[in-house]
Amino acid sequence: MSEGAPEAVVRMGELFVSGSAGHVLASIGLGSCIGLVLVEATRPFAGLAHIMLPASNGDRAAPAGKFADRAVPELIEQMGAIGAAASRLEAVLVGGARMFSFGSSPRLDIGRRNEEATRAALDRAGVAVRAAATGGTNGRTVRVRVGTGVVTVKEPGAAEIELFAPTQTGQEKPR
Amino acid sequence: MKTTYSDQQLDALRELANIGSGTAATALSRLVGRTIDVSVPTALALPLAEAVDAVGTPDETVTAVVMPISGDLDAIVLLLFPPADAEVLCELLGVRAGSEVGRSALGEIGNILGSAYVGALGVMTGLELDPSPPETATDMLGAIVATVLANGAEESDVAFVLDSNLDVEGAECSLSFMLVPDRVGVGEVLAGLGLAG
Repeated sequence: MSEGAPEAVVRMGELFVSGSAGHVLASIGLGSCIGLVLVEATRPFAGLAHIMLPASNGDRAAPAGKFADRAVPELIEQMGAIGAAASRLEAVLVGGARMFSFGSSPRLDIGRRNEEATRAALDRAGVAVRAAATGGTNGRTVRVRVGTGVVTVKEPGAAEIELFAPTQTGQEKPR
Repeated sequence: MKTTYSDQQLDALRELANIGSGTAATALSRLVGRTIDVSVPTALALPLAEAVDAVGTPDETVTAVVMPISGDLDAIVLLLFPPADAEVLCELLGVRAGSEVGRSALGEIGNILGSAYVGALGVMTGLELDPSPPETATDMLGAIVATVLANGAEESDVAFVLDSNLDVEGAECSLSFMLVPDRVGVGEVLAGLGLAG
């Protein structure tokens, strides 16, 4: 996942930020996991976290992107570290599907719990969710292009569709 | 928190998978009336981020049968077929792939194989294991495997998978058979084998 790679794949529990226009961040095959995208509309900053579970319960040793409650502040902080302004971040959520019902397991529907925990953490951080492709029973792949901030989503057997494009008011569009 | 396993422990788990998948292969052989070749199982203990790629290509479409196990051990039995191989298997069973009957036939195969595997596991470890009814899904491999792994990932950053391949002789049909215990589950299995710690 070098900074110059055309597409950085963000795997389970990982998170990644980029300030290189043209760079693409992707999480391939999200099931109950959440792909959390943060972009700054007018400047080429984007981040992606591949969140597996809702709550860390104090586990600080886990990979930074694994739990929603840690991944959200960590991604915001890393966006800040490359120069993005926290107050101008916009979020897009993809994933959180219920792939299996797993009978009567009490841990069922991790997908929904992941989405709720991610939204709650974004809310605490004051970051608005601008678009979401969540729930349902299908897996999804998410991609965000650094620079345009365009987020696409692809489900199995379907074409890749544009889920979100930031409104870039009063600024020169990066291209 | 324990995140790595000794060679001796991994060997024992592999041997367990070998016997389990052998028992499952015998069950499958009876169902389809063909010889089943079983590969030597692999025992994967990997960081979560690397686990999906170790199992397959994340954006490849696969048919999956998933059977959760509870009791003394929380685990998930996962069968993965390329969709074309699932069709061949349905043909061998005399049902139409993609139909409701086809899906439930695949679920039933999962049930029979999973129960055979888990039965063998129970005998060897002395653990009481209760399989739940199986579910089938056709989706991206990454989405299926990640969801299964997430289910047991609460307390561990290491994904543990026992993986073996079953090949139906004389047919283009190969399926990947996996047992995914949660962290506590691996410990229980090792304790059952007298290899705890």
